[in-house]
Amino acid sequence: MSSDKTVRSGLRVLLVEDEIMVALLLEDMLAELGHAVIGPVASLGKAVEMAQSEALDVAILDVNLSGKEVYPVADTLAARGVPFIFATGYGNGGLRAAYRHLPTLSKPFLRRDLLRVLAEACPAKHV
Amino acid sequence: MVRQKQNGKSRHGPAEDRRSAPGADRHTASPSPGKDDLSRAALVVGLGASAGGLEAFTTFLTKMPPRSGMAFVLVQHLDPVHKSLLVELLSKHTAMPVMQAEDGTAVAADHVFIIPPNATLTIAGGTLRVATPAPPREHRKPIDAFFSSLAEDQEENAVCIILAGTGSDGSLGLQTIKAHGGLTLAQAGFDETALLGMPSSAAATGLVDEVLPVERMPARLLAHARHLHDMNDRKAPDGTRLDAAEHLAKICVLLRARLGHDFSEYKEKTLVRRIQRRMQVLQIDKFPAYIERLRKEPEQLDLLFHDLLIGVTQFFRDPAAFAALASEVMPKLTAHKKSSDEIRIWVPGCATGEEAYSIAILLKEAMIKAEVTPRVQIFATDLDEHAIAAARRGRYRKPLAGVSPDRLARWFVNDGDDYCVIKDVREMCVFSAHNLARDPPFAKLDLLSCRNLMIYLDAPLQRRLMRTFHYALRVDGYLFLGASEGISRHGGLFTVVDKKHRLFQRGDVAASLPSAAVGAAPAQRHPAAAQQPIRPSGDDVDLRARHAVEKYSPAYLVINRQHEVLRFSGRTGHYVEHSSGAASLGLFTILRKELLPAVRSAVQKAFATRQPVVHDDMVVAVNGHRKLVTLIVEPISEEPDAELYVVAFQDRGIVGGEGAAAETAASADDRVRALEKELRAMRQQLHSTIEDAETINEELKSSNEEYQSVNEEFQSANEELESAKEELQSMNEELHTINGELNSKNEALADSNSDLKNLLDSTQIATLFLDKDLRIKNFTPAFAEIFHVRATDRGRPITEIVTRLSYAELKRDVKKVLRSLSMVEHEVVAAAGGATFVMRIRPYRTVADVIAGVVITFVDISDRKRHEEERARLAAIITFSKDAIIGHSLEGTITSWNRGAEHIFGYTAKEAVGKPLAILLPQSQVDEAPQILERLARGEQVENFDAGRVIKTGERIDVAMTISPVLDERGTMIGASTIAHDVSERKRSDELRVLMVNELNHRVKNTLATVQSIAAQSLKGAADSKSREAFDSRLVALSRRHDVLAHGCWERASLRDLVLQELGPYQSENGTRAAVEGPDTGLTPKAALALGMAFHELATNAAKYGAFSKPRGRVRVAWEVQGSSQPMLRLTWTESGGPKVAKTGHKGFGSTLIERGLSLELNGSVRLDLDPGGLICTIEIPLPDGGGGPANV
Repeated sequence: MSSDKTVRSGLRVLLVEDEIMVALLLEDMLAELGHAVIGPVASLGKAVEMAQSEALDVAILDVNLSGKEVYPVADTLAARGVPFIFATGYGNGGLRAAYRHLPTLSKPFLRRDLLRVLAEACPAKHV
Repeated sequence: MVRQKQNGKSRHGPAEDRRSAPGADRHTASPSPGKDDLSRAALVVGLGASAGGLEAFTTFLTKMPPRSGMAFVLVQHLDPVHKSLLVELLSKHTAMPVMQAEDGTAVAADHVFIIPPNATLTIAGGTLRVATPAPPREHRKPIDAFFSSLAEDQEENAVCIILAGTGSDGSLGLQTIKAHGGLTLAQAGFDETALLGMPSSAAATGLVDEVLPVERMPARLLAHARHLHDMNDRKAPDGTRLDAAEHLAKICVLLRARLGHDFSEYKEKTLVRRIQRRMQVLQIDKFPAYIERLRKEPEQLDLLFHDLLIGVTQFFRDPAAFAALASEVMPKLTAHKKSSDEIRIWVPGCATGEEAYSIAILLKEAMIKAEVTPRVQIFATDLDEHAIAAARRGRYRKPLAGVSPDRLARWFVNDGDDYCVIKDVREMCVFSAHNLARDPPFAKLDLLSCRNLMIYLDAPLQRRLMRTFHYALRVDGYLFLGASEGISRHGGLFTVVDKKHRLFQRGDVAASLPSAAVGAAPAQRHPAAAQQPIRPSGDDVDLRARHAVEKYSPAYLVINRQHEVLRFSGRTGHYVEHSSGAASLGLFTILRKELLPAVRSAVQKAFATRQPVVHDDMVVAVNGHRKLVTLIVEPISEEPDAELYVVAFQDRGIVGGEGAAAETAASADDRVRALEKELRAMRQQLHSTIEDAETINEELKSSNEEYQSVNEEFQSANEELESAKEELQSMNEELHTINGELNSKNEALADSNSDLKNLLDSTQIATLFLDKDLRIKNFTPAFAEIFHVRATDRGRPITEIVTRLSYAELKRDVKKVLRSLSMVEHEVVAAAGGATFVMRIRPYRTVADVIAGVVITFVDISDRKRHEEERARLAAIITFSKDAIIGHSLEGTITSWNRGAEHIFGYTAKEAVGKPLAILLPQSQVDEAPQILERLARGEQVENFDAGRVIKTGERIDVAMTISPVLDERGTMIGASTIAHDVSERKRSDELRVLMVNELNHRVKNTLATVQSIAAQSLKGAADSKSREAFDSRLVALSRRHDVLAHGCWERASLRDLVLQELGPYQSENGTRAAVEGPDTGLTPKAALALGMAFHELATNAAKYGAFSKPRGRVRVAWEVQGSSQPMLRLTWTESGGPKVAKTGHKGFGSTLIERGLSLELNGSVRLDLDPGGLICTIEIPLPDGGGGPANV
């Protein structure tokens, strides 16, 4: 687990997810990794609001929020310069073209997958 | 040169009788001075020529100045069929306009008119008349026809010229021209005599004014015109010269001197006109000069004589008189006649024969009525031989005045423009030239008709003729005279039958022929002068002196050459002795017998010598005394034609007798008495013999005359034969020409026949020619092939033959075509072959536009039929296709638009056709169309591309399109067709399906994540982290396999991908830890899941215990597919460089999963070997059919 060392603990992570079981799993994993979870938020409006207002290091965004796409949140975050990670069952092929190059967490995922995408989104030197 | 002309029209009305012999031309002019023909030609010149006369005519035109003021009309014998080139030919030779005559053309000066082919050309009122078609060749006399009308229309302004040509056409017309005062010319050859053929025939009539070489004719015409012009000033309104009368007597004297005919009692105007005409011809304008010419050239007198004799008569002239003749005379003539009997009739002065034929017709009618068939001879004579020639022809121009329709039908043959007397009537008549005044008469006549002839003669001649007629008629024979003629002075000779109609009958009075009528001596012109010497003088002293002397002068008788006693002196009683019986003045019948021998010999001597004969010492017994008498016979008339002789007896006293002389005389006396008695008997005998001889002599003379007539008849028959021969020759010539024409026509026909044959042989259209009775006339080889007919079938009815044609109504259709003359068309099927034909029946028109049957053509349309069916099928496909099928031109204009197109694009065909294709393009793609068309133009097919298009409502739809070029048979592109398939629906469902699959995948992943979360929550604290990791790992691996399958759309998964998916996390950076070798092989989802599970277990195991647990350990995965019918996948997993592995008895979940899962789910086999180098797993599974193909990635 060499990648663990590159991620610093104590990140403030915005979690946007409309399914409770997945949200719980991520919360557990992030908590185990020593990060603080902001959310989880299931509604798009609230997520956008929080993406604007909260102090954040990174965000994990479920692409599909009850049939609505999460891109307004991503746009808001991108505008603020906050890195974010898409969590999706579609794989990165299902993403809007502008975001296809960003790290993606493909469901279901292993803890090391989560670590890897966090490390990619928040490289250690940056932290 | 326009001049005023006296258009002296002369129409001979029925009241006017025109006679000749010795001739009466009743040409009285009825002037029409009001008529002014300023615009007309001064002279109208008719030129007659036959085919050979072209050269003469061109010469004539070349010499004729173009502004002569004359009009020229050329009448030629033309082939009736051929178009004449004369107009073109002649135009080259004259500056005058040359034109073909048309009906109604006014004859204008300085123009040349030409007769059209196959026509009769005439002129009336200065206007040309064209009648077509021309009469049949044998009656065609176009020149005669034109000249006759020209004569009547133009009178003295007419000129006729007979140019070279065969036959005799023109001669008759020329006579008419002459009769009306026109000028007549004929063409001369190099020897200055008339050319053979038409000119010589014309010259033979004697009526040609001049025979000239054609070069000299124009000058002659100009002179003639000039003279005519000059003369006009000196003419009375009736056209006669004012200064003529004084010169007439001299001319008459000259005529009588030469020809023995005295015209001094003719109507003056007639004479003047005729003489003027001669002067016109000779171009002499002063009478003395003409008289001088007559003296110098006696033949001019002959010409004048001819001119004076021209005349015409009429049939049944004076109908009432002829009716009387028919009712009074004819029944008596025909009554009780046997067929051996003969009826003899004489018509002197018959002119052109009308009167003779009229009488013949009446006699014929009477004979039919009386049912007798005696022999009939009608002697018809005239002085004028030309009139006789015309009479012999028995051909008269229509209309025939005076002849009832019944008679026309019964006694005439309608022949073109003429009526011909029928043969029966013609054969009754014998025509001959005969001078009534000079030649002996015919004898023993039953009827003598001499009408309106004697009125023109002076009284002495009339008297002589009456005696002649009396002589000529048999006892009870009839005399038929004209209305103003009578027998007043000859009442003793004739009895009146019908005074009004001048019918007389000869009495039974002894007849003798007047002397002048016998010998060849010229007619007695002045009998009064001949009688002068014996006519008592009116001087009283002389008279008394003569009385005184008379008793001393000799007794005398005056006799003529016929021994008739004309005068007796008082004391002839001693010499004359009247015998019993009919009274007679014949010298030898009244003379005393004993004087006869001496007187006869003396008279004959005097007749012979015309000198006085004196016979002395003639002894005559008077009252018992014998007297001595001197006989003197002396001619007392100087007139050679009326000799008179005086026969005088000079009494010389009684013969004195001495005694001795008396005695010797006594015995001698007895002998003398006996001898004298004998002599008297002899004399009586001789006398009666002489009388008989004289009678016989007279009869012989009459017979001789008859024979002469018959001879003349033979001569004329001979002449007719000659002319017939000439006609035959010219006919022969014509036939030669026609033959030549026919030959060339024949060649042309052969050519066209050959063309036609080749056409028939080469045409592929089966053609059949039928006549009206449906009989085969002809057919083409193509027809023979289809219907199996042979050449021998020609002439057979089509209904017998064409069995292969399954068409029953043929007969009815042919009838319909023949009736309506329009085409009938049917499709028919040849029964055996099954080929389909279009049968067209058309009327067969001959060149002459006569319907002579039908033409049936059969066009094989089997191919067309197939094409039509194919086309219909394709059309149905196109019409009912759901796809839009659009035809358009290379420029992109829509040409066709099917229902699919209507449905897809919303435009109706009507709206779309003609619009550019661009109406279907969205705004953004307007420039696409030219590019596509450009590609098409290069011959490319633009296939199956999807495109957006706009429909009528403006909506946008997606279509799959194929655009193909449409090429003609030469490969040239003539358009394009676009097939557009509406794919909007499919597209939508495709998108939906993708969306659903993605959603499903997402769902599955989410579900797996949820499962993972549930497991994590559930097992929190209950399981060790290793177990949880294993679970997570298997779950994620399942999810990855799912991805692979989703990638292959749940149809195919790539074996390589599956392997790499599992080996990927363990691969070294230089790629040497994991080696994958094998062909790209696709797997079913089921096989992919099972194999993926196996690879996951193998990889996890290798990471825990095997090759991946050591840094230098390696894994090699290799596979191959074996067999083709039942392909088997054979895969080996070989680990090396791992730790030494001891064999354990424990079989873990992983190996169970591998071994059982694969064998159970895929019917495969798995072998796990623990080799000292590492694990080797060998998997063999059957691939389902097609499963061995490459993965659809």
